[in-house]
Amino acid sequence: MKKISIRALLGGVALAATISGSAFATECIAPADAGGGWDFTCRQIGKLLYDLKLVDAPVQVTNMAGAGGGVAYTYVVSDRGTDADLIVAASSATTTRLAQNAYAGMAADQVRWVGAIGGDPGVIVVAKDSPYQTLGDLVEAIKADPSKVTFAGGSAAGGFDHLKPLMVLKAAGFSDFAKVKYIGLDGGAEAITQTIGGFTQAMTGDMSEISGFIKSGDVRALAVLSAEPVPGFEEIPTAKSQGFDVEVVNWRGLYVPKDISDEQFNAWAEKLQTVADSAEWKQIMADNGLAPFTKVGTEFQGWVDEVVAETNALSKEIGIIQ
Amino acid sequence: MMKSDRIFGLVVVLSALAYFAGAWQIQAGMMMDPLGPRAFPMLIAAAGLICGIGILLRPDAEPEWPGARAWIGMAIALAVLVAYAYTIVPMGFLIPTAVASAAIAYLIEPKATQSLLTGLGLSVVLFVIFKYGLGLGLQPFPRALMG
Amino acid sequence: MDTLANLWMGFGVALTPYTLFLAICGCFLGTIIGALPGLGPSNGVAILIPLAFALKLDAIESLVLLTSVYYGCMYGGRISSILLNIPGDEPAMMTTLDGFPMAKQGRAGDALVISGVASFVGSFLSTVGLVVVAPLLASVAYRFGPAEYFALYMLAFATLGGLTSNNQAKSAFAACLGLGLAMVGLDNSTSAARFTGGNLHLYDGIDFLVAIVGLFAISEIFIFIESHGRSSALGIKVGKLLIPWGDLKRSFGAMMRGTGLGFIAGILPGAGASLGSFMAYMAEKSISGGKGTFGKGDPRGVAAPEAGNNAAAGGAMIPMLTLGVPGSGTTAVMLALLLTLNITPGPRLFTDQPQVVWGLIASLFIANFVLLFMNVPLVRIFVKILSVPPWFLMPMVTMVSFVGIFSLSGSYFDLLMMIAFGVLGYILRKLDVPTVPVILGILLGNQMEDWLRRGLTISDGDWMFLFSSPIAVGLWILAVGGFVAPVFLRRVLKRPPVPKTDMPMDQD
Repeated sequence: MKKISIRALLGGVALAATISGSAFATECIAPADAGGGWDFTCRQIGKLLYDLKLVDAPVQVTNMAGAGGGVAYTYVVSDRGTDADLIVAASSATTTRLAQNAYAGMAADQVRWVGAIGGDPGVIVVAKDSPYQTLGDLVEAIKADPSKVTFAGGSAAGGFDHLKPLMVLKAAGFSDFAKVKYIGLDGGAEAITQTIGGFTQAMTGDMSEISGFIKSGDVRALAVLSAEPVPGFEEIPTAKSQGFDVEVVNWRGLYVPKDISDEQFNAWAEKLQTVADSAEWKQIMADNGLAPFTKVGTEFQGWVDEVVAETNALSKEIGIIQ
Repeated sequence: MMKSDRIFGLVVVLSALAYFAGAWQIQAGMMMDPLGPRAFPMLIAAAGLICGIGILLRPDAEPEWPGARAWIGMAIALAVLVAYAYTIVPMGFLIPTAVASAAIAYLIEPKATQSLLTGLGLSVVLFVIFKYGLGLGLQPFPRALMG
Repeated sequence: MDTLANLWMGFGVALTPYTLFLAICGCFLGTIIGALPGLGPSNGVAILIPLAFALKLDAIESLVLLTSVYYGCMYGGRISSILLNIPGDEPAMMTTLDGFPMAKQGRAGDALVISGVASFVGSFLSTVGLVVVAPLLASVAYRFGPAEYFALYMLAFATLGGLTSNNQAKSAFAACLGLGLAMVGLDNSTSAARFTGGNLHLYDGIDFLVAIVGLFAISEIFIFIESHGRSSALGIKVGKLLIPWGDLKRSFGAMMRGTGLGFIAGILPGAGASLGSFMAYMAEKSISGGKGTFGKGDPRGVAAPEAGNNAAAGGAMIPMLTLGVPGSGTTAVMLALLLTLNITPGPRLFTDQPQVVWGLIASLFIANFVLLFMNVPLVRIFVKILSVPPWFLMPMVTMVSFVGIFSLSGSYFDLLMMIAFGVLGYILRKLDVPTVPVILGILLGNQMEDWLRRGLTISDGDWMFLFSSPIAVGLWILAVGGFVAPVFLRRVLKRPPVPKTDMPMDQD
């Protein structure tokens, strides 16, 4: 773990240089380079925490890219385990990777999951001239001949986007997951392009990636994988309403180090709830295509445990992990 | 004497074989796409092997290699750069930068005073630009001295 | 007109005081970088990328700054060609043939003005070409699937370096080396660790910026130490700057033909600016039919190659922006910049992020006018700067490279890797192995593999998918042709004798 300690050292150097004086400033680690979803989470939540006077000093955002969040995870677990002034951005990708043992032996119970305050519902779309009209049509076609349908998605094989159609198929009673064809592309937009071009038959992704393409009419959404229809896109039926009991939401939230006290943990949960309830956050969600999805504190912790167990079981069935 | 390109071709051939062996040992998980993680590196190794044989069989004219003095100069430069990479964090920016720039200036044109001034000037001016102009978190001196 | 509306929006984005300021800085720096022998557009832009990040510039600002540097280099290269008989970068090589003789005849000022105007004509018209052609190419976006992308990458590798190296085996090896290095790290599809030797630093792969700065900038230090920094003292005085209207008029045709040839050379993936200026010069020489004074100080021999290499710079942006495949060494570096900024070039760029594309194009127009002004009336400033000695320049380049890479990752491991790439770059350059395909391989390797694997997934493992569409087949034919053609062309087109340069690698 040489790299970790060096990064830690440098993080310290950089901090000492930039914010010397405010020793109690909260730090938010975004486990990716600037510009991505985790960076967004840190910056927006960090800003609101300060604007709503929930913390005394502006939140310091540290970007710590590497191994899909694994570098930051390892660092928090091994070097910052008791730091109550540290929050770390996380999403479904974090728990999916933990469930698939992709963080070099790290497990989901080595940190505390403090809350999610927004979600990006999963969607399954097809090109506008596709023969499939409903989610049922698509599922039946795959059941008949899996080699006829290839899904495109923005995450690597085995990632969150890959799991979405598999969960739908599982709910439909199809279990020969290895036969389902999926290609991972660099982001949802590229996956949509391949689908519009007819190279793949369907695309799975997050609502925010797809909303623009739905508005422009290039693609048709067969189903949204949330509990309720998404505001603004009420015409897209949920998978549940079509008889597939599946709910997949890419949540945006935070974890904190494991060895902080329960009071400290609950304090973070309360702060997060305050942020979630604020009008500012609702505006940010609307501007960025996020749907309300608030779970904090012990409720969130329990939900994460459940999701991790479920993802782990599914990943074993697909053969991503032994 | 053996032509440089013959040696080079041989090195390429051997590297390609080693690379192929490395690709062979990649552990593939259970989930496999039709190609898997090993095939593409193997293809690259095969293409590299062909290139190596091509270079080996049809060498170009001999390049103009530098003399012993230039080799020594370059070896010193390499050592200076490596040392610089290792010292820039623990020793702070100013001292390693001054030493390294002076050394490189001297290796390009061996005039002591001129090189010393280059080293000192560059380290101070660049520090000011990087730290205050670009806002990089640089330490000027060893951390021990900074308290 | 959609295009005009978009362009208008682009000017709105690019004409803020701050971006304008960045464009002027970029043009100024670029002209210096281009003029200084040993620094060219690829290493100049490479060194500045980390600094653009350190300045916390956003995507458009970084692009404005660095494309200004790029265009500035294309202008600046001619200054040392004319005054020192040393090309400031490789594309400016042809300019020495008539530029230096003109300077010796006491017409250095005229040569600088004519070449400056030719540079402006070339890059202005090719930027117009970019506006017209790029959206057309972008509209075939949805026709590109796995087979087409894979063939397109093959085309880029087959042609890049083909005309700049003398040995096809060596340029193919360079591509393999780059591809091989790209494989290091976790496999995209299965997360299998490849060639990491268990070293955690390598799990995310080799950062292409580290490779670029190492191969382009650090290797330069060794080259300079080897040559003991041959002093580049100015022997030529620039007299009074007057506009030589007569010569400009006479060389107008040469500029237009040079622009056309250069633009085409730029669009072809991999051919680049050197080919553009070479073709432009050879065409003018053959048109004159031996009646001209080519090689002895003919103004047309200055105008044509300068128009050609600047036009190629604009042309090379087209495949880079629309297909994500760079047309030259410098656009490869620009591609690295875009990827680092989370902008994926490709057909969708024009619809997804129009403000980025059109802001960039608008800033290219702005840069051209700034550069015309800097390089004709104010050219004396750069003539002065040209006397910066290597013993000062090289330590500065080194330190800027180190701090730049260090500020990106804060890891001494990356610095060591950069030095290793510097040594590798020196050896490759001595052995006449082109370095640009190495960069291209590192940049595109993973994508190329991903497209192949995606295609094979869709086709259930049938390799014939590679030739499954007319576009793909066409690209394969071009690729094979591009790889084989130089072997024959080299026999037909004998290069005219040009002064030996210290910097054989600034291929663009």
